[in-house]
Amino acid sequence: MKTRAIVSSVSVSVALLALWGVIAKLEWISPIFLPGPAATWQSLSDGLRHGELLHLTLGTVERMAYGWALASLIGIALGALIGISPLLRAWLQPTLELIRPLPASAIVPVAIAFIGLSPAMVLIVIAFGAVWPVLLATTHGFANIEPRLHEVGRVLRLSPLAFIVKVGLPNAMPDALAGMRLSLTVSLILAIVGEMLASQEGLGLAILQAARSFRSADLFAGVVLLGAIGFVSNSLLGMAERRALKWKQI
Amino acid sequence: MRSILDRLGWRGWVLPLTLLVLAEAAMRIHPVESDALARPTDVLNALAQGIANGSVLRLSAQTLAAALAGLALGGGLGLAAGIWFGLSRAASDAASLSVELLRPVPSVALIPLSMLVFGFGFRMEIAVIAFTCFWPMLLLSQAAVRNVEPRLLEVARVLGFAWWERVLKLILPAALPRIFVAFRLCVGIALVVAVTTEIAANPQGLGYALMNAQQSLRPDLMFAMLLWIGLLGWGLGAGLLLLQRAWFRHSLAQQP
Amino acid sequence: MNALPRTQHLQVVTPAQTDAPLIVFDQVALDFGAIRVINRLSFSMRRGEFVCVIGPSGCGKTTLLRLLTGLVKPSAGEVRRHGTPIAGPAHDVAIVFQDYAKALLPWRTVAGNVSLALEAAHVAKSERADRIRQLLAKVGLGQHADKYPGQLSGGMQQRLQIARCLAQEPAVLLMDEPFGALDAMTRQTLQDEMLQLVQESGTTVLFITHDLEEAIYLGDTVLALRAAPGERSSLAQTFEVNLPRPRDQLSTREEPEFLRLRRAAFDHVKDTH
Repeated sequence: MKTRAIVSSVSVSVALLALWGVIAKLEWISPIFLPGPAATWQSLSDGLRHGELLHLTLGTVERMAYGWALASLIGIALGALIGISPLLRAWLQPTLELIRPLPASAIVPVAIAFIGLSPAMVLIVIAFGAVWPVLLATTHGFANIEPRLHEVGRVLRLSPLAFIVKVGLPNAMPDALAGMRLSLTVSLILAIVGEMLASQEGLGLAILQAARSFRSADLFAGVVLLGAIGFVSNSLLGMAERRALKWKQI
Repeated sequence: MRSILDRLGWRGWVLPLTLLVLAEAAMRIHPVESDALARPTDVLNALAQGIANGSVLRLSAQTLAAALAGLALGGGLGLAAGIWFGLSRAASDAASLSVELLRPVPSVALIPLSMLVFGFGFRMEIAVIAFTCFWPMLLLSQAAVRNVEPRLLEVARVLGFAWWERVLKLILPAALPRIFVAFRLCVGIALVVAVTTEIAANPQGLGYALMNAQQSLRPDLMFAMLLWIGLLGWGLGAGLLLLQRAWFRHSLAQQP
Repeated sequence: MNALPRTQHLQVVTPAQTDAPLIVFDQVALDFGAIRVINRLSFSMRRGEFVCVIGPSGCGKTTLLRLLTGLVKPSAGEVRRHGTPIAGPAHDVAIVFQDYAKALLPWRTVAGNVSLALEAAHVAKSERADRIRQLLAKVGLGQHADKYPGQLSGGMQQRLQIARCLAQEPAVLLMDEPFGALDAMTRQTLQDEMLQLVQESGTTVLFITHDLEEAIYLGDTVLALRAAPGERSSLAQTFEVNLPRPRDQLSTREEPEFLRLRRAAFDHVKDTH
């Protein structure tokens, strides 16, 4: 049963690829807009081997990773503090709820106003935008600790710090990791937007320039790489999540 | 009096209001010439003016139109595909690899492509929004259909319903609450992507006005646009949540 | 701070050896908002005594335990231990909850869960492994040290909770209907295991249950509480259980004294409903 699924899904993907190739070859859509798979592959391999593509990819990945890591640390730390204290939650929750629906990209102009166009600006934008999913998820995880566990902690006379670390954090891990996965998506998006707007070297800027110069094959190659970054980073995080939460699989 | 205040959650408002009052006072005492800071009262003023002269409403209409059109297109296709995949294991299996390969492409990466094909304007923005809304709608409505209580399906079979009767009378109504939740999520996504596209490239709508204000060194207008975008997002979300509670209170045990 | 001191309470003591009561409830009252749930409750517990508490829902049985942990303070009267009022949780007072699944850490192994109590007591890392092994062996979970609570049956999860409580080397063990959610066979097995454990260590036990026969089978004393006491004392009746130890599921339950107590307890319940 499983192999049938694999075979059918691979066939469908291959068929779609072939369809793409046919449409491009027959020029049903102008090659200015739609390069064929072959042209895309050419641009991709040339760019990676001889050109800057690898360098640009690493630039984007680095940006995304640093911003995400920073956001995760801050989000978990703040989320723990806010989540565990009903008092803090009462004071802060509405402010957080007000900021949540704001598109993270809307911070970009504000950041430019304050910091100017620079790598630091992009990093701050990414961290600021990516902190919310982690913060809110971690707060939720800490706020929803089983009341019985609170009692157990008090009867065992666990110090507040010990309780947060030994009970709160593991309990909030499923929520926090889900938030971190969302944050990763946001980080990638903001890295790309940041590069486009602040003209920072990376794939985001590269595909913008490719579009402006009508180099569709390069554009597609860049998009494929960005998709690959998204895919790989998400898979890695998914694997880490499964390992950390193996007690849940029972 | 106390209980009314408590119910409104007065504590939550203290922090933002205090900060605003302090900022206002500080900037009045020390008048600041800055491209980045603006007095809260100036910001509110700029927003009021924008509403009065119609520009804010016009810009909002542009952004919302693009968002809703993109949602209708992408979300509609995603819903159809999701229902199909939810009902047919064979179809969802066949599509799985393609979905996993195409889904991780970040929406903003398509902005230059869309720009290349459509130039600037509504079509370009709608295309990006449609792509972004398609995936969550697909996956969530698929899950909603799959999640229909198997016991109900057994009952339907025992009662002798034809397959299309099963879908229309049983599966869709049962999946509707979760589909609405997915819809709510996608409205938020559509709005965010619309604003992002306008910030990054498309010269129309609220996002463009925001960027414009910053570039014209009008921080009061910039914050006014930021505030308005936030209010719009919050208002849409709150409104949809109210609808959800009104329509689906009994079907959904808890709101996500 | 080093490991818990090995104090005298670990020796087996008989009621005759101790005269001063260990725990005293002195005219204790407890209000939930405007409702007085417990009123003028007075009783005492000797060291090593096994006291069972029965009563209808709403009589405050569960709250009684929390008064002894110090997590709840009485609205009137005093709860004293060793003559001083209880101010807060003590290192040697342990509580076993009825909803065992909620009281265990699902992300830690069986050994890890027991370790939590040792970590809280700042037991040195080198000592922990041995203590954990001993405790798990004592409750019969020696083979399951690396499993997760989610993989254990209800009875085993409850044993795990008991093991964690024993890690505190408790002088006082509080148990809140611990076997209520288990099937009859597991319940009987755990009852006997429980009795053996507390006999060996001379722990003082306060045991809440809604099962009248269980209360008589396990206890030296059975306290019957009433709900909505009004002006009267919450303590409706006290039964002294003069049955020989060690108890046995078959023979003890056939003793004439057991049957007499059983009849008395059932009559009491019938009268108060």
